[in-house]
Amino acid sequence: MTDVTEKQFRALQAEVDVLAGAVLDTPLASVPQWDSLAVLLVITHFEHVYHVMITGAEVRACSTPRDLIKLIPDAS
Amino acid sequence: MHSLINHFRIAGLSVTTGSVRRNFIADGQANGIPLAQLERIAKTIGLRDRMVAASNVTALDLCEDAARRLLSEMNLDASSIDAIIFVTQTPDHSQPNNASLLHGRLGLSKSAFAFDLALGCSGWVTGLHQAALLCAHGGAGRVLLCAGDTLSRLTNIKDRTADPLFGDAGSATIVERTGQPNPVHFVLGADGKGAQSIIVPAGGARQPAGELTRVEEPDASGNLHHDENLHLDGAEVFNFSLREIPPAIQSVMQQAGYTSAQADALVLHQANKFIVESVAMKVGFTKDKAPAGIVEKFGNQSSASIPCALIDALGDTLSQKSLKLVGCGFGVGLSWAAFAGEVGPLIIAPIQPYPVSK
Repeated sequence: MTDVTEKQFRALQAEVDVLAGAVLDTPLASVPQWDSLAVLLVITHFEHVYHVMITGAEVRACSTPRDLIKLIPDAS
Repeated sequence: MHSLINHFRIAGLSVTTGSVRRNFIADGQANGIPLAQLERIAKTIGLRDRMVAASNVTALDLCEDAARRLLSEMNLDASSIDAIIFVTQTPDHSQPNNASLLHGRLGLSKSAFAFDLALGCSGWVTGLHQAALLCAHGGAGRVLLCAGDTLSRLTNIKDRTADPLFGDAGSATIVERTGQPNPVHFVLGADGKGAQSIIVPAGGARQPAGELTRVEEPDASGNLHHDENLHLDGAEVFNFSLREIPPAIQSVMQQAGYTSAQADALVLHQANKFIVESVAMKVGFTKDKAPAGIVEKFGNQSSASIPCALIDALGDTLSQKSLKLVGCGFGVGLSWAAFAGEVGPLIIAPIQPYPVSK
């Protein structure tokens, strides 16, 4: 399961450039340029890869990349 | 709702932009934003220049200029117009409407019908639908459709998510009844539950403008705006665009019997490059058939963006021959309107700023 999470996180990092230097538990509030554009890129990534539409409010409620990964369907 | 209208055509198109050029990078640097951050946004969203209206120039002035230039290019007399529809969210007054004011300025016949449609980015296609109805079933031979806004006035310069997006423009479109069959399909829809995603909270009857409605407050991201400003929830609007617009486009194409390979172009409301490319990809249009470069030249022009894209990207072809077009406007309401059908050949008055610098 951890491997899956890591793999999903690496895929997310590839599309959301500002997460390049982050790890799973980095507070998003501390990520430079974690902004409204980054939120759009996260929504797009979920749409492209998982074919689900998440909302901006769901993304903004996440504290860390691990929380973002938890939004993936079937991810625990 | 699906609607099939026959026996009308778009005979002419023109767009007038604001005359003041604003540059995203220069404005951002003047506000102390690091260059690397600006370049990242510029590249992803497609922001570069935008043309905003000079002070005291309104959407009415921009549309009047577009209409006068188009009528002149088409050698048409204002008295030949049977109805005028004005699509705007930024009218000169709460009453009378802009259509009546432009009716007077252009000297239209007293038998010409005049009304406004209070819509933004979905408004040109919705206005086209209304103009087509008037021609096909409403006794009009020729309708002047004006669509435009000065949204740059409504954003707060300290709101770094909304302020850099908008340009100001007015468009004029001549729609005519024809004897030839020319079926055009429309799909129109709304999601009023999403109304708060794009809203100017104050200045209407619910919350009249006053001292208290001009108190600036920061949002969750630290952007400042007050209740008379345009509030834009970018993530929600993006979500709405990806959720509702591809099915509307697929539906109108299915009604018209078009595939993305058969259609010559997909002309979307030019919200920004990121949204246009995301929607176009979802409905199977390659980048070369879905113009997305309008925003970096002019900004998001609200209801004038589709006519501007038609002229900028396809004008040379459309003035020569007809194209199988699919288009969709979407935005404030929330609302959307899509069309699919043959457009052209038509007469174009070029994109031009107003006032023209001497």
